[in-house]
Amino acid sequence: MKTFSAKANEVPRKWWIIDAKDQILGRVAVKAANLLRGKEKVIYTPHVDTGDFVVVINAEKVRLTGKKEEQKTYMSFSGFVGGHKSETARARRARHPELLVERAVRGMIPHNKLGRSVYRKLKVYKGGLHPHTSQQPATVSLP
Amino acid sequence: MPRATNAPASRERRKRVLDQAKGYRGRRSKLFRYAKDATMKGKYWAYRDRKTRKRNFRMLWIQRLNAAVRAHGMTYSRFAEGLKVAGILLDRKILSDLAITDEASFKSIVEQVKGALEGKSKKAA
Repeated sequence: MKTFSAKANEVPRKWWIIDAKDQILGRVAVKAANLLRGKEKVIYTPHVDTGDFVVVINAEKVRLTGKKEEQKTYMSFSGFVGGHKSETARARRARHPELLVERAVRGMIPHNKLGRSVYRKLKVYKGGLHPHTSQQPATVSLP
Repeated sequence: MPRATNAPASRERRKRVLDQAKGYRGRRSKLFRYAKDATMKGKYWAYRDRKTRKRNFRMLWIQRLNAAVRAHGMTYSRFAEGLKVAGILLDRKILSDLAITDEASFKSIVEQVKGALEGKSKKAA
């Protein structure tokens, strides 16, 4: 008997919507990452993208526990001398709240070509509106 | 004294290595010097991977089973425990295939496992 292997063009893909309002960032990101990768499907195949599309709304209302709002810093380095930038979670939430969720999810997805194409199925929006209503995304209930 | 190097044998040997290296990228398929290294490495990985293949597939079956039983409100760990209690001897390969191809029978297995686990926890109490 041969072990089943999913074909990229035969994977059934659904759309999911996660309301991040008052949810903890990591919990949202784990759920989104698992759905994007297809780890919750029986047909999961490591070298094929078996995942679904995920829409995250209310990204600016996601919650951080403890003192992370002040203490968690996001750093970037441009490669030039003095090219070091850092920003606290609070500043990032004010400047571009989608980045909080996007970065958390990207960190939970493999950092390779497949991971990048998996990541492109994630759509994050601040506020409760999103342009994917015609895909009829199903609501994900977080515990 | 003339130098004797047995050229036919050397040529044969190099040709054998180059034939094995057909399809390799760049000079690894064209030059003996690099083809020799590439074929030796290739055999080394092939030997090792014939063993890791068995582990890799088992890992994949377990990942799929975990996804399948979580849909029934269980974790793989509890499922594996219950399989033992229920005396179900199907291996992970067959179980994960059942989960994909025959949902109904997989569901009945899950029910059996759940029943067995309940019986066990009652006995312990």
